[in-house]
Amino acid sequence: MKFRFEGLRDMIRREAFVFGCVWFVMILLLVSGIRGLPGNPGIDELNTASWTGTGPFESSNDRGRFALTYSLLEDHSLSFSIPVAAFAAPDLAVTADGRYVSLFAPGVSFMLIPGYYIGRLFHYSQVGAFVVVSLVAFVNAVLLYLIARRIGVGRIASLIGSFAFLFATPAFTYAVSVSQHHFAVFFIFASIYALLKWDDWKALLLVWFLCAWSVAVDNPNLFLLFPIGLLALVRIVRTRISSDRIRITLKPLRVFTILIMIVPLVFFGWYNSNANGSAFQLAGTLRRALSVSQYQSESEQRELETLVAMHEEGTGDSGTDSPSTVGFFKTRNLYNGFFVHFLSPDRGILYFTPVVLFGIAGLVILSRKRRELANTLIAVVGVNILLYSMWGDPWGGWSFGSRYLVPTYAVLCLAATVAVEQWRKNRIFMLVFLLIFGYSLWINVLGALGTNAIPPQAEVLALEQLTGHEEKYTYQRSWDYLVVNGSKSLVYQTIAKQEITGIQYYLIVGSIGMVAATLLVVGLHFSSRAKDTV
Amino acid sequence: MRTLDRHQNPIEAEISLDRRSADRFVRFIDRNSTFLVTVLLTFVSVSAFAYYYANGLGVAYNDARSHLDIGRRVVEGLNPGAAQLGSVWLPLTHALMGLTIWNDFMWHSGLAGALWSMIAFVGTGVLIDRYLKEIGVGLLGRFTGVGIFAANLNTLYLQSTAMTELMLLGTMTAGCYFFLLWYKRRKILHLVAAAFFIALSTLVRYDGWFLLFMAAAILFLSTWREGGYRKAEGLFILFSTLGGFGVALWVLWNALIFKDPLYFAFGPYSAHAQQDQLESAGVLPTKWHWLPSIKVYFYALAYNSGAFTMILGLVGQVTMWLDRRLSREVRTASALLVAPLLFNVLALYLGHSVLYIQGLSGDTWFNVRYGIMMLPSFAIAIGYLTDRLRGLRFTLVGLLLFTTFFMFSSGDAVTIDDARVGSSQKNVSEVSGWLHANAGPKKGFILISAASHDSVIFSSGLPMSRFIHEGTGKYYDAAIESPDHWARWIVVRSYSDDDSTWRQLKDNEGFLERFEKVDSYPFADIYELRPEFISGLVTDQIFADNPGSER
Repeated sequence: MKFRFEGLRDMIRREAFVFGCVWFVMILLLVSGIRGLPGNPGIDELNTASWTGTGPFESSNDRGRFALTYSLLEDHSLSFSIPVAAFAAPDLAVTADGRYVSLFAPGVSFMLIPGYYIGRLFHYSQVGAFVVVSLVAFVNAVLLYLIARRIGVGRIASLIGSFAFLFATPAFTYAVSVSQHHFAVFFIFASIYALLKWDDWKALLLVWFLCAWSVAVDNPNLFLLFPIGLLALVRIVRTRISSDRIRITLKPLRVFTILIMIVPLVFFGWYNSNANGSAFQLAGTLRRALSVSQYQSESEQRELETLVAMHEEGTGDSGTDSPSTVGFFKTRNLYNGFFVHFLSPDRGILYFTPVVLFGIAGLVILSRKRRELANTLIAVVGVNILLYSMWGDPWGGWSFGSRYLVPTYAVLCLAATVAVEQWRKNRIFMLVFLLIFGYSLWINVLGALGTNAIPPQAEVLALEQLTGHEEKYTYQRSWDYLVVNGSKSLVYQTIAKQEITGIQYYLIVGSIGMVAATLLVVGLHFSSRAKDTV
Repeated sequence: MRTLDRHQNPIEAEISLDRRSADRFVRFIDRNSTFLVTVLLTFVSVSAFAYYYANGLGVAYNDARSHLDIGRRVVEGLNPGAAQLGSVWLPLTHALMGLTIWNDFMWHSGLAGALWSMIAFVGTGVLIDRYLKEIGVGLLGRFTGVGIFAANLNTLYLQSTAMTELMLLGTMTAGCYFFLLWYKRRKILHLVAAAFFIALSTLVRYDGWFLLFMAAAILFLSTWREGGYRKAEGLFILFSTLGGFGVALWVLWNALIFKDPLYFAFGPYSAHAQQDQLESAGVLPTKWHWLPSIKVYFYALAYNSGAFTMILGLVGQVTMWLDRRLSREVRTASALLVAPLLFNVLALYLGHSVLYIQGLSGDTWFNVRYGIMMLPSFAIAIGYLTDRLRGLRFTLVGLLLFTTFFMFSSGDAVTIDDARVGSSQKNVSEVSGWLHANAGPKKGFILISAASHDSVIFSSGLPMSRFIHEGTGKYYDAAIESPDHWARWIVVRSYSDDDSTWRQLKDNEGFLERFEKVDSYPFADIYELRPEFISGLVTDQIFADNPGSER
């Protein structure tokens, strides 16, 4: 096998200027959104409101993962000191011997290390860590483009898919903060691309490695990557049916590629053993600690516990017990979960990112022409939606849009490229697409630049009693945040804050995105059909 | 036939199978699918019963205990006989229980009733397979359909109890199946069979009555369109005469035994009377409101079948109706599959039914099991969809397996919640335990309202002949007149006029002066005859001829 990045080389050679400009705009938009403040903050500084509430670490999801990175590099420890534990709370677990550890799988935190380390050299340690996620998000956009090209979608339509995924879905919000979602997309896309491009043992080696590593990044990735694992398995055991015989071919050498999974699993076991007390003890199954009594004031603890209790009342979960590994997912939650993910005003796709719905049409088209791939993509989407609809907290805590569905947005944006390619000459379709694309883009730029801490609708009444004023639970909350506090973006905080308001910054960034999106859609409509369309 | 060889590539092993052998194997499975499904589901059914029997949930439903008691009263008690079948609940399941319920184990284990649920469970699975085969669905689609029905914790739980839901599903599915056969083959015997099974369903639950109405309407309208009015009229009369036989018998029964042909509908223990009470208490929110009725029933469907199954089932059903590859006759016949959905929404809207979903209707469950009624229809629709989506079938099946795995891993059976924590449950173990310990070893009758405290009777473990209740004719009349001569213990919910025994005794001097309250529990109080009056007590059955007077 020759490791030749034909798609990438082709892209560089033939579309150097125009397409280079689009990629540049994408980088520009990403950079404009990255959250952060200058400096190498110590843990006492990180625990202040300027870094948490109004700073880059507004969500415990960000703090919990960054806390482990910080602890590893600054304290050289897998378990948290009291101040670090207070920073990570309430996404904090307590081991049987009373140590505070991260409630999350360790993969993301470990992958932030290079960024944190380099950033620290330039006095931007937090930004360095965040940039790692942005880089992965950008790589995901490139992978989406390459996969789309691989299945015969034209260049412009492929770019539209990448652009839509990165900026017209909540993926944008989670590309400029710390979360596990873009890593999950990376594992999915990198595996699919490897399987599409290469048909040998090295591709399998990569896929198995990514599958196993993905579990160390976020445990539910085990289920998300399962369909891709099956696709890879077909490369080992192949069935061919002819008129008189059924041949089942087994490639023994390829079977051994599965052994590569041991490497990430050993790492994961090592982490679990040292942090959680046993190689098979997942962090999520440890007892949860809501606050750190030695560090936080009584009133802070009370407020935190009230907020968590309110959230758990809404979700029907009790996070303080030690849950079982599969006990997190209950089929009883499916009905409500579907509503939350698709139709609810506080998280629903219909309100936050309707552009991805074009992907459904794309999957239908794809299923007729690339059945094996379509099956895999549908399975990934199906598992993602079902899994997080069964989750007790489909809202994803205080978040922007349905963050657990970022892998679904990625796959649907990939499939949407097929739909826009198919109907590119249909004016009405393209006009509707552009309108919905534009709407989704404006909404999601709001989430990236403003706040991504939006409470679920179920919590709002209790929250209002606590705060004494109206609490919004839609993307309007991000708008209000921009009006009052400005943007959380590093660029805004360090360069633009003195010159323009948060809203003006939002309008500038959104307009750049909108112009690029419009040019792409119009360009696709008027361009000639690609030779190798799906 | 089977070879293991090395090809050009030295590190490739190939197993080569003769295609004809594989085809023969598939054909064998196809031909014997009824047998295979029967064997497999019988094993599943027996295992599920054993599981729920072992953990004591088999008789958790208050209604299950009442059903068993009704069956038992037909064969044992102070006034046994067919009149004990009662007036409100339809009689088929209770009548069938009579075959085995004379045995104490069969009664108290619930097996006398569960046995029929289990048979119906296996039968429904077989019918789903056959229905799908009739509409040209392949093996995978058929087994998927059977799996949807059988690998569902709510079905498995209900088939392990003495409830009537599985019997209804079995008879309704059989009715739908033969209705389909009639449309496909136009053999009058199939129409007769459809009418027969629908008639049986009308003797299990009132849902069957709506099925009868809908089947007759579909038959009449479609035949009128195809063959004119006279033919439609003839078939309609034939079908309705047999199909409506059970309804007619039930009306006649009520007229003969209770002197009112509509006693089942408007009598004091009817659902109508129960719903009237709920309405006056302001807890019947679905009555005359379409949206809450639809919403509540869809929640029940989603919680019983699984939301994913429900959505796929609805998509599959619509696909069946729109699919031109199916003949118009088949599509017409398949319309009958949505009868349970229409009936339940309509019943909620009209206020004839009540269904509480925890979170929507306060903090309780009630009758949420009604959502199971569409499961065979969903199973058929999904089996069909799996077959139609040829390219995506394995993905679809994989996703269904995925949710099924989590249904089992999270133990998600809403019917068990309904039975254990909802309004359908009554923890009567204290009062029944008291009776068992104190009344069991002594002589004397226990006066009790079966309508209010059937679960106490069941759970006490005492023979039915120890209880004087509304169905014991002269004993009850005499005990209400002179309780101190007939009852050593009286179990009533004090100060509740819903309890007919209390209502009739509350001013009785013999009761007020000669009994003392010996214990008090959440659902009932126990009164015992003072020791000084025991000498005048009748403790043996003395009425040889005791015509039933069900109240």
